[in-house]
Amino acid sequence: MEFRLKNELEEIRLLAEAIELWGEENGIPGKTLFQLNLALDELLTNTITYGYPEGGEHEIMLRLIPEGEKELLIEIRDDGLAFNPLEVKAPDLKQDIEERPIGGLGIHLVRQMLDELEYRRENGQNILLMRKKY
Amino acid sequence: MDIKKTQEDRKLTIALAGRLDSNSAPQLEAELKESLVDINDLVLDFAELVYLSSAGLRVILAAQKQMNKQGRMVIVKVNETIMEIFEITGFAEILTIER
Repeated sequence: MEFRLKNELEEIRLLAEAIELWGEENGIPGKTLFQLNLALDELLTNTITYGYPEGGEHEIMLRLIPEGEKELLIEIRDDGLAFNPLEVKAPDLKQDIEERPIGGLGIHLVRQMLDELEYRRENGQNILLMRKKY
Repeated sequence: MDIKKTQEDRKLTIALAGRLDSNSAPQLEAELKESLVDINDLVLDFAELVYLSSAGLRVILAAQKQMNKQGRMVIVKVNETIMEIFEITGFAEILTIER
C-alpha cells in the first residue's frame, strides 16, 4: 500500500487507521500492526515536528510492501531537514527518575519495534527503509 | 482522547480513553498543570487507553516527578500492550503500576 501524508500531526492517526485496515485485510497480526504503527508514529512525529522549521505544506510518502511469508518492507521518504535516526544515542534506561531526561525515548522505541532500519539521504530527501518480521 | 476527572478531597483520578500520542499529549499536559495543585494522591486510570507513544510517556514522567514531591501517583488498569511499552522503556521500574 502507498500513503501520502501532509506534515501535520493529526495525519499520523489517519495513517495508523489505514494500516490497521490494510493489515487486517492482509492477515497481519494485530500486535505487529500496533508495533509498526508505534514506530511510524515516532518517526513521523519527529519529521513533522522538527523537519520543517520554515513551515509550509509538505508531503511525506510511505510505502508498505509484504515480503515473503512473514515480513513487511516499509519505506518513508520526506523532504525535511536531513535526519538520520540511527545516529541518535540510546537512552540510559537504568537512570533514576530524577535524572531521567524528559524525552529521547522515541527513537529507542523505533529500534525496539522494528527488525531493520536503513537510512540514506538522496536528492534532498530522507529515505528510511525498514523491515518488520512477524 | 477523552479525559475524565474525579476528585475526592486531595485525591484526583484521571481516566484516559483513546490514544495518548503527540497529538493528544499537550491536552493531558495542560489538564495536569491545571489540576495537580493541592493534590497528594493522583490515580491515572488506563482501562480505556488503547495507545501510548513517547509523547505520552514524557507527560507521564513529568507527572510522576511532580507527584514525587507532593504525594504519590499510581497508574491502574494497564493493559498488556501498554505494559510492554513501559517495560521496553524502563518506565515499569520508575512508575507505580497496578494492573
